[in-house]
Amino acid sequence: MFPPFRLDPAALLGEISAFQRKLSAGVGNLAHQPEPEYANTPREAVYREDKLTLWHMKGQGKPTAKTPTLVVYALVNTVWMTDLQADRSLVRNLLEQGEDIYLLDWGYPDGADRWLTLDDYINGYLDRCVDAVRKAAGVDAVNLLGICQGGTFSLCYAATHGDKVKNLITMVTPVDFQTPDNMLSAWAREVDVDRFVETMGNIPAELLNWVYLTLKPVRLNQQKYVGLVDILDNPKELQNFLRMERWIFDSPDQAGEAFREFIKEFYQHNKLIKGEVMIGDKPVDLGMITHPVLNIFAEQDHLVPPDASRALGRHVGTTDYTQLAFKGGHIGIYVSSRAQREVPPAIHQWLSTRN
Amino acid sequence: MSDQASDLLKDYQAMAQQSWDAWTHYLQQHASMAQPFGQTAWGAPFGAGEDVLTRSMAAMKGYGEWLQGAVGSGLGQGTGDWQQSLQQLFASLGGQPFAHAFASIDSEAARSFTQMWQAWLQAGQSGLAGAHFDVEHMAAFGFTRERQLQQQALAAAMQAYLESAGKYQALIQRANTEGFERLQAKLTELTNSQRQVDSLKALYDLWVDGAEEAYAQIALSEEFRRAYGDMVNAQSRVRELKQQMLDAACRELGMPTRGEVSALGKRLQELRREVRAGTSPAASEEITALRAEVAALKRELAGKAAPGKPATKKPAPRSSKRAETEKEAVVRRAKPAAAVVARKSVVRGATRTRK
Repeated sequence: MFPPFRLDPAALLGEISAFQRKLSAGVGNLAHQPEPEYANTPREAVYREDKLTLWHMKGQGKPTAKTPTLVVYALVNTVWMTDLQADRSLVRNLLEQGEDIYLLDWGYPDGADRWLTLDDYINGYLDRCVDAVRKAAGVDAVNLLGICQGGTFSLCYAATHGDKVKNLITMVTPVDFQTPDNMLSAWAREVDVDRFVETMGNIPAELLNWVYLTLKPVRLNQQKYVGLVDILDNPKELQNFLRMERWIFDSPDQAGEAFREFIKEFYQHNKLIKGEVMIGDKPVDLGMITHPVLNIFAEQDHLVPPDASRALGRHVGTTDYTQLAFKGGHIGIYVSSRAQREVPPAIHQWLSTRN
Repeated sequence: MSDQASDLLKDYQAMAQQSWDAWTHYLQQHASMAQPFGQTAWGAPFGAGEDVLTRSMAAMKGYGEWLQGAVGSGLGQGTGDWQQSLQQLFASLGGQPFAHAFASIDSEAARSFTQMWQAWLQAGQSGLAGAHFDVEHMAAFGFTRERQLQQQALAAAMQAYLESAGKYQALIQRANTEGFERLQAKLTELTNSQRQVDSLKALYDLWVDGAEEAYAQIALSEEFRRAYGDMVNAQSRVRELKQQMLDAACRELGMPTRGEVSALGKRLQELRREVRAGTSPAASEEITALRAEVAALKRELAGKAAPGKPATKKPAPRSSKRAETEKEAVVRRAKPAAAVVARKSVVRGATRTRK
């Protein structure tokens, strides 16, 4: 038997003195930090409608890929996670590999968008963006790269507009919304979402952000900021930290009606894997997805548990299905250094054998 | 040795105080910049200076205080009972060293929600000040009967919300307690190995692991799911009733209500869908086909109406014009919805002029 501690009094005092010193010195560093910028990879708007913008991302050279790839992000948070900072940018990395990348930036909904439905988003906005990419690139079908909820949208789209999709990539995408470890799903199950949306209208981003923080309350509300003290004297690390804070908290509200539908149909009734989802007048049958599919998920994902994504393999109709498990979390899959080494090259390699 | 430690602790406390003063000064400056118009008329539920200050500092301040308490607790020093020292450390800080990480888990926004509605409820009941009877359960009658019922419903809903929030908080408290128990279990495991906790940060990280594990288990339980749903639903009910009262007040003042604005938004969105459906490629193709069919029928009818006349007879000039107009209409049909609407307005204007 050994005592669990080896705490020398002088060392303890040294530890807390160091903490306070860093904290005191850090105030000055925080005071002079500029607003952190995203990677801002050169881009051109090729289509705009209401709040959304379709961006054509520009690399150093011309793309070598024949088929363009449209990145479909979730309605929560912003697409700039994929282009967060120069050395941690999924977009830049894919461009460097020769891919031709378009980003769908949904924008920030306001009261005018309260009644937008999933039909408006998927059969409307997304379909018109796909058409715009097809037209711009002069192709009949595009690759879709759907992320998180955007992956779910991409699945719905591919199942109902199959002729416009060549290859489908899903990243951290929920498919089975009721796996036992899905905390968000458990919490959403008993909520009267009709009354919730009726009284809230659009769902404020601040409210959703709080819900996400409470998935891991001590880690995300405290431990993270205790860790901040250690990097206050490192300008580069501090900028990276603040950039991530910007991305986390600078997020759009949710159009009320689309939110209501998504919670009800997907989270509460888990209709996607039952083949019961209707987007407008189009039934969504995952069995209709016969395109090549690459499904990437994160093994430590606390927002979309790996099993929620793995389910795709059991329901999709294609015979060309590839699954890639990434050792990291929901955000790390885009911004960690491991992700830069592993994810974009894997996507490029998979696409290059199918374009 | 004890004098030296005492002096060091005093020095540390003085430094800690300076540090917090510096941070307070920094954050107050930024909070005041963020609130150029000072406190809002709503009692500043979000972002008021003090609130921003408290939230921003809470994580690091809580950790700093815990460090200070740990040094004074004698934890890890001597050969005493480590479990007792650990308990003393946590007990000296109210048994919940990081209570804020959990205590505010129903969000500052939710707390403001409670405060706001309570204040309004009290304001609404001010007319009954001094009445020493159970207002909530009084039979309603007289000219203000409907308003009495509304007030009673709101009071009952508020009470239901407070009860559901209490049940939710009880589960959070349980997570806090079980988190500490898990920390003890983890430390006990260490006594059977050669690994030891050699810093307060390591002890803190171990506590975070235990706290998150305990919380996750509770947060995924049926009991938590129901408590969460009940709390959200009760809050929605309060909001719903208050909105009804506000709508009534707006109607009395001749102001548009939330419900009316929402209904207009819904109709507008429906109209946008109808217009878009009418100009979709599928709809255009159908119209083109129908026009061609009508034209063919007209030609057939024209042929039957003039028996004996040669089939190759040159059509009347007026018919030619019609045919041209139809052709033009088909071409124009492909134009955007706005152009179609504008053109229709012109045609209507021309018709009226002819009359």
